[in-house]
Amino acid sequence: MQDNLLSGNKPMPFGTTLKRTFRFLKPQLPRFIVAFVLILFNVAFDVAMPMIVGAVTDNLKSDSIALKVIIGFAIGYITLGGVNQIVLYILSMLLQKAGQSIVENIRMETFAHIQSLSHGQLDKMPVGSLVTRVASYTASLSDLFTNVIVSVLRNILMIVGVYGMMLYINWQLSLVMLGFIAAVAFISFGFGKVIGALFRKERQYISELNTYLNENLSGMKLIHIFNRQQYKELEFILKNENLRKARYKVVLAFGIYRPLITLISVLATAVTFWLGVKFGLTSAMIVAFYLYLSRFFNPVQNLADQLNNLQKALTASEKIYRLLDIQPEVQDTDDAEDIQEFKGDIEFKNVWFAYEGENWILKNVSFKVGAGQTCAFVGATGAGKSTILSLIVRNYEIQKGQILIDGKDITKIKIQSLRKAIGQMLQDVFLFSGSVKSNLTLDNPAFTDEEVEAACRYVSADSFINKLPEGINSELSERGENLSQGQRQLLSFARTVLHKPQILILDEATANIDTETEALINRSLEKMRNIGTMLVCAHRLSTIKRADNIIVMQHGEIVESGTHDELIAGGGYYSKLYNLQIERQ
Amino acid sequence: MLLGKHINKYYLKYLWLYLIGIVGLIAVDWFQLLIPEYLGRIVDLFNGSEIDTAVLSEIVTGVVVVAFVLFLGRVAWRFSIFAASQKTEAGLRKTMFAKSERLPLSYYGKTKVGTVMAWFTTDLETIEEYLGWGTIMLFDAGFLTVLVIIKMINLDWVLSLVVFVPLVLIVIWGALVEKFQAKKWNERQEEFDKLYDYSRESFTGIRVIKAFICETRRLHECAKIVRKNKDANLSYARMTVVFDCIISFIIALITAIILGIGGYFVYYTVIGEPVVLFSHSVNMSAGGLITFLGYFETMIWPMMALGQIVSMRSRAKASLKRVSRFLDCEEVISPTNVLKDVKGKVEFKNFTFTYPDCETPALSDITLTIDAGQTVGVVGKVGSGKSTLVNSLLKLYPTNSDSVFIDGTDITACDTDSVRRAVSCAPQDSFLFSETLSGNIGFARDDCPQEAIEQAADFACLSGDISGFEGGYETVCGERGVTLSGGQKQRVAIARAYLCNAPILILDDSVSAVDIKTEETILANIASKRKGKTTIVVASRVSTVSRFDKIIVMNDGKVEAFASPSELMIVSPTYQKMVRLQALENEIKEANNAR
Repeated sequence: MQDNLLSGNKPMPFGTTLKRTFRFLKPQLPRFIVAFVLILFNVAFDVAMPMIVGAVTDNLKSDSIALKVIIGFAIGYITLGGVNQIVLYILSMLLQKAGQSIVENIRMETFAHIQSLSHGQLDKMPVGSLVTRVASYTASLSDLFTNVIVSVLRNILMIVGVYGMMLYINWQLSLVMLGFIAAVAFISFGFGKVIGALFRKERQYISELNTYLNENLSGMKLIHIFNRQQYKELEFILKNENLRKARYKVVLAFGIYRPLITLISVLATAVTFWLGVKFGLTSAMIVAFYLYLSRFFNPVQNLADQLNNLQKALTASEKIYRLLDIQPEVQDTDDAEDIQEFKGDIEFKNVWFAYEGENWILKNVSFKVGAGQTCAFVGATGAGKSTILSLIVRNYEIQKGQILIDGKDITKIKIQSLRKAIGQMLQDVFLFSGSVKSNLTLDNPAFTDEEVEAACRYVSADSFINKLPEGINSELSERGENLSQGQRQLLSFARTVLHKPQILILDEATANIDTETEALINRSLEKMRNIGTMLVCAHRLSTIKRADNIIVMQHGEIVESGTHDELIAGGGYYSKLYNLQIERQ
Repeated sequence: MLLGKHINKYYLKYLWLYLIGIVGLIAVDWFQLLIPEYLGRIVDLFNGSEIDTAVLSEIVTGVVVVAFVLFLGRVAWRFSIFAASQKTEAGLRKTMFAKSERLPLSYYGKTKVGTVMAWFTTDLETIEEYLGWGTIMLFDAGFLTVLVIIKMINLDWVLSLVVFVPLVLIVIWGALVEKFQAKKWNERQEEFDKLYDYSRESFTGIRVIKAFICETRRLHECAKIVRKNKDANLSYARMTVVFDCIISFIIALITAIILGIGGYFVYYTVIGEPVVLFSHSVNMSAGGLITFLGYFETMIWPMMALGQIVSMRSRAKASLKRVSRFLDCEEVISPTNVLKDVKGKVEFKNFTFTYPDCETPALSDITLTIDAGQTVGVVGKVGSGKSTLVNSLLKLYPTNSDSVFIDGTDITACDTDSVRRAVSCAPQDSFLFSETLSGNIGFARDDCPQEAIEQAADFACLSGDISGFEGGYETVCGERGVTLSGGQKQRVAIARAYLCNAPILILDDSVSAVDIKTEETILANIASKRKGKTTIVVASRVSTVSRFDKIIVMNDGKVEAFASPSELMIVSPTYQKMVRLQALENEIKEANNAR
């Protein structure tokens, strides 16, 4: 369901899909052209080979039988065969190279495009469907270029070439064969439809069975608690049988279709023998005609298969194009400035923001934070604290109002320079697979080991990192799942400090942190305050108390603000919250 | 053949299907070889004189007969052998599912659901493929090879010898192809997996990437992986193409050899001086040569199939091994002593419990008695052992004997089903199946009457919510239906457990996401509708249990206190603290509401 955004409401017109596919195909055009010329040769050779067999028969049957001619034909046959395989090799590799290069380009374009989308857009797209677009759908698209297009072309040429030769041998017999060809074509396309529908049904039952299995294996505890084993078994048998029957229907369809084609082609052979003699063909002509006949039905059948594949590839490409069509929401304007140095004055002026429609998360929020100050945001979950932080770095665009840094509207600043200056420490610390170091530098080779170690020391992360077997070069297992929440938080601090920000934003983790790590975090927070302006979504009292200014949020509005002492003296919401926390600790 | 204790019975059961299929295959193989003979006879019909119409019509009739036999034979083997292989697959899958239900729950703690799923899907499909296509290829290739070799030798053994040598090449080549292709295929798959993982990680961590503006660096890294994918694909394609071309070339070569050497034999036969080789004079007509060529063409596919069969078999063997290991896992054996007419008295005597594969016990030395008909609360910090304590009544994990008793009977000595009939439970995770609400609530009973379902929904304060859904009780839950809120899920779980009307009902932290007012109603329902029956309620809020008969306070796997709420205020420090915290929270809430 969530996929709606990516799949669109209406199917893309066939012509549009083709046209867009052609755009990717264009740079590879020379390769395709050479390949198509080679296909002509390949088909010509394939068509010529039965003629040689026919010619040998002819010679053997004639009065002027000559050994030299026969041996000559044999040598000719093998030479032609050899050359044909070389042509085929070059041709196939050309297509493969062209196809793979196209896929490479599409993959890169898709990957880059996804990275350019805004947070708001990405929030709505399941990671899984993005990954399949980069990896899997592009793979089925490559089939289009390396396989489908060439097969269709080759099969058509084969049909034309072979039928041409048949006409050349005997036009009357060829006309009769037209009936058989029509029958094979008709049956193939008809069955293609039927089998397509049966396959879809099969896939549906497979996915139903898998969902059922997955759910019941996961919920096995409940089945045990409620003694439902037998009932579940009966349910399973039903689904299992549904799938088996659906699969057997596919077998039945193929079990009639394939033998039917055999029947037609062998009957065509019988007719060839009978009419061949009646129409006064020579034995050699009958042999050649027979050989052509066997080369004729396959391409017709294949053509039907290829149409299915073509459809599959076009569906895949459509999914990719839909994604590429989504315009990135947050982009630099043309007059956006590149700013290297920020003082750190931050101001929200009557900011209204909603993720969706009129569902306001921030309502007319205004505040100022002076350069070098630390400002803490306090309030219940969903009050809009984290949102404020993500608006400053333009993860989302606000609907009304202005956000200013050093008096400059942030939409007039290049996103790159904005994000470079603002160091973000997010609540849910995401770690990549790799070493501690690669997670801190984010694979930027410009950072030296000394710098990394210094950053770790600065935020007091060195004590636990040094305990790891290889220090900063230790690999994090399973994206750092063996680290505690507090340790992950410290790594996030180190990552930010290393990137030398001028303004800091921090979304504190809510989870419990052991006392030892808590002390480390406090120490490093204290140090980091010196870096520059700091905005914190705070949960822990110690952080809040030290802030120069505390802004208390409720339901998207600022309810009170001031220093800790001022707020306590005011006896409002903050003071109650504070008292409760004190009790708790 | 693929043999094993779990699969052999299916061969016997479906022997008749296999036999029909094999007869079909033999018929097809036998008759398809007649076509080259007819073609040869047609060629020989042209002997300069008038064509013999009688022979011609005999040949044509022959081909028509062949056409129909081929049709019927092919239909027969397709219908029968695949029926057998698919029935075997379905049978195995059914057995596996039944097995999955009889395994102890601890098995799923050790084995990931995804792994078990793979045995049910990929492995069974691999086995089916070999039982179906594998059998067909084996017999088809076998018969064809034998038949063609006999026919070729009959036609002329000297020419046959000349052809057999390169034919062996095809077999060797085919086997090599399989081996190398599999290797290249794996390399290709590995690169693909890397791309898949890299994109997944990038898109999951996109917030960090954007925060530290490393989009460009990630893109460059991605470019490298994409390039490697391209190279691996090309390398695989190159190998496939080279192999295909070489096979085709060998075929062309053999055809040329047959034409050349055969033509040489025919020439000398025609001019009346047959070639003598190995003291055997080679007599061959032009038609004979064409027949021979036809035989050779028939031989090509069985030769190539041999290599495929070998690798298909080894794959299927590995899959069957995994499936068999699963089917051979040890099951829990339940005692036969049935627990009947349960009143609902629960006793723990020096009960210590350690989860399988854990070192420290989750519960230690628990001794307490809950009288039949009491309503008892369980409170304590996260991880203090509340759920473990109540779950131990369900016999989900093996426990020591003589430590847990229901109505004075040791439950380890009782039939598991009967214990679970006596105890119904709304587990903490409130897992629901993706079926209708009435299906979920009436989960415990076959064809549960609507009335009982509605009563249970009333008990759990759910009726109002249900009437709000468009589909009412027939609303489907989960992925393909409505998404229920946490509180709604919990209440469905409560209704599901209540419906059993068991002497002992456990609600394991089932109201944590339910609002206070609804919770009050549910508590009132417990008081009125569970009167005289034992009810145990695990709670995270003290207010939930503060009016119960007795409360168990858990601390670090031990019972800190077990007494009435008023007594607990004196004897249990944990309980006191919880009560005070709760009072403060209420105060703040009220203050907020007042604003």
